[in-house]
Amino acid sequence: MSHDHEPDHTHEHPAPAPVTPDDAGSQALAEALRSSFAIVKVVMLLMVLAFFSSGFFTVGPSEKAVILRFGRPVGEGGKVLLNSGWHWSYPYPIDEVVKIPITEIQKVSSTVGWYFTTPEQELSGEELPAGTSLNPAVDGYAITADTNIIHTRAMLYYHIENPIHFVFDFVSASNTVQNALNNALLYTAAHFNVDDILTRDVAGFRDAVLQRVSNLTEQEQLGIAIDQCEVQSIPPRQLKDVFSQVTSARENRNKLLNEAHSYENQVLSQSGAQAASITNAAAADRARFVESITAEAKRFSDLLPKYESNPSLFAQQTLVQMMGPILTNVQDKIFLPGRADGKPRELRLMLNREPPQPKTTTQQ
Amino acid sequence: MKRNVMTSVIGAVLIVIFALLLFVFQVRQSEVAVVTTFGKPTRNLIEPGAYFKWPWPVEKVYKFDQRVQNFEDRFSQNLTADSNPLLVMVYVGWRISDAKAFFPKFAGGSTVAAQSMLESMLRSAKSAVVGRHPLADFVNADAKQLKFDAIESEIEQAVQSQLQTNNCGIGIAFLGIKKLGLPENVTEAVFQRMTSERQILISRFRYEGEAEAQKIKSAADRQAAETIANADAAATRIRGEGEAAAARVLPVFEQNPELANFLLRISALQQSLNQRATLIFDERTPPFDLFQHLPTNAPSR
Repeated sequence: MSHDHEPDHTHEHPAPAPVTPDDAGSQALAEALRSSFAIVKVVMLLMVLAFFSSGFFTVGPSEKAVILRFGRPVGEGGKVLLNSGWHWSYPYPIDEVVKIPITEIQKVSSTVGWYFTTPEQELSGEELPAGTSLNPAVDGYAITADTNIIHTRAMLYYHIENPIHFVFDFVSASNTVQNALNNALLYTAAHFNVDDILTRDVAGFRDAVLQRVSNLTEQEQLGIAIDQCEVQSIPPRQLKDVFSQVTSARENRNKLLNEAHSYENQVLSQSGAQAASITNAAAADRARFVESITAEAKRFSDLLPKYESNPSLFAQQTLVQMMGPILTNVQDKIFLPGRADGKPRELRLMLNREPPQPKTTTQQ
Repeated sequence: MKRNVMTSVIGAVLIVIFALLLFVFQVRQSEVAVVTTFGKPTRNLIEPGAYFKWPWPVEKVYKFDQRVQNFEDRFSQNLTADSNPLLVMVYVGWRISDAKAFFPKFAGGSTVAAQSMLESMLRSAKSAVVGRHPLADFVNADAKQLKFDAIESEIEQAVQSQLQTNNCGIGIAFLGIKKLGLPENVTEAVFQRMTSERQILISRFRYEGEAEAQKIKSAADRQAAETIANADAAATRIRGEGEAAAARVLPVFEQNPELANFLLRISALQQSLNQRATLIFDERTPPFDLFQHLPTNAPSR
């Protein structure tokens, strides 16, 4: 409005100025016009200021902004994105500011692999009784490589890495991510056997899903980076019992095998110890035998010259020498002098040392 | 005078602004635009930026969202090459690639109309492609035989070529299978089959566990027996070595067998008398023969 007024004033005003009217009425009018014109000028100045200052905007800590000048992003490459802080752009319609959440982690969950539940049931943990079949209209599931049916669902966490792609190339980028996740679940399930998904290779299944999702999102140039992927898989509720029986049978088998292995360890270590003691005893025997025979041989060699000089004397001497220590060791020594008449003497010996019942031996 | 210049500058600015509003329009980053001259599409604007146009009624601008739009078709049943019924749902990311071609085709560029056309194309492409593949191409543990990707790209190509022949101005950015399913009565049969497979597994685990455990235990027993037998053999060998070593010493004793014999007897005697023993001597045994001529206290008869 003010724009329209202003030219009128300026054109009107210079015209009457040179006339210099004498009457006080027209002078007062000119005065009034001048002062109102001054007010209009101030207002105009303020409006221009307001127009330009409306171009200031802030970018929050977890977002980036893009300025579109006449619809085209301002800046080249990485400079397109404005970091957090104060910025200025030309006001609309020249520039348009688009803010994009970037560091925030976004999450999306799959929609195709799980049986029908409501969020309330999910929270309370109660389940509707499962029918004998799955209705494809409401119940989701995945078909495994061995054409079994399982339920599986995934939660994908990602953040936006390239906001230009994410915002300007997709009507609903998060929906596209979700479809990629759904596709990845089905695709990966079609690769894996049911037991691998459920028990044997749970981590492998998850990694394969993750791999497929990141391949797809990369191909589709969504401009996101995937942080994490959680996958949960269960057998159909209809077959819960029989699946848990398999699990317990497997566990039982593992228990048996573990027991067998511990038996194996025990038996083997025992036999090893026994074998070692057998060979050690033999080695000790050998050493002792060889040593004693060597010692005897040495003694023999030492004694041989003495013996050869006088065999009978040597024998006597040795015997007598030996008898000394032997006799000190022997507990009972009985000396039996010969009878004066030279006849053999009869001796009766009662041995009751070990067995209590008496046993008699005769000896001459 | 100064005021005059100022006034005309401001007036000129205002005129320029007014003219710009009439003659210039923007195409935003995510948009494409078609300019029609007297109702006929004449210009196709793909790049974002500001463009010149003649004011209405000469030229008119139609803008379209150029971003990828998601579309999913119905979860519909098809027969595979080996006559298995299979429910397939695909999702497709499509975008307006040529606004000039797109605009006249769908009553003023309605995306709803475009999607319903896309749906019918998808339906025929899907049933044709699914019919060419057996079920084993959809699910297979062998990565080489699984043709999941191939099926997806076949559907995509079929739709793409139909779009091209019809010149719809639509491009497919990506296409994938969103959902696979079996008819409800088939799921029941699958459950029965899975149950029997599970039962086979149960009995196998049970049998396998016992058999394996038995195998491990008996192998351990055998190995233990072997170890001990080996040890016995080694012990015999070691003792034999000892005897062989002793045999090398024997010639020493052969120098004088009598002495050897004597010494052996002495050591035997020593050993046998080491423990509790009672010795009875008569007067002829040395060294007690020394007593022989001593007077005894025995009563002489």
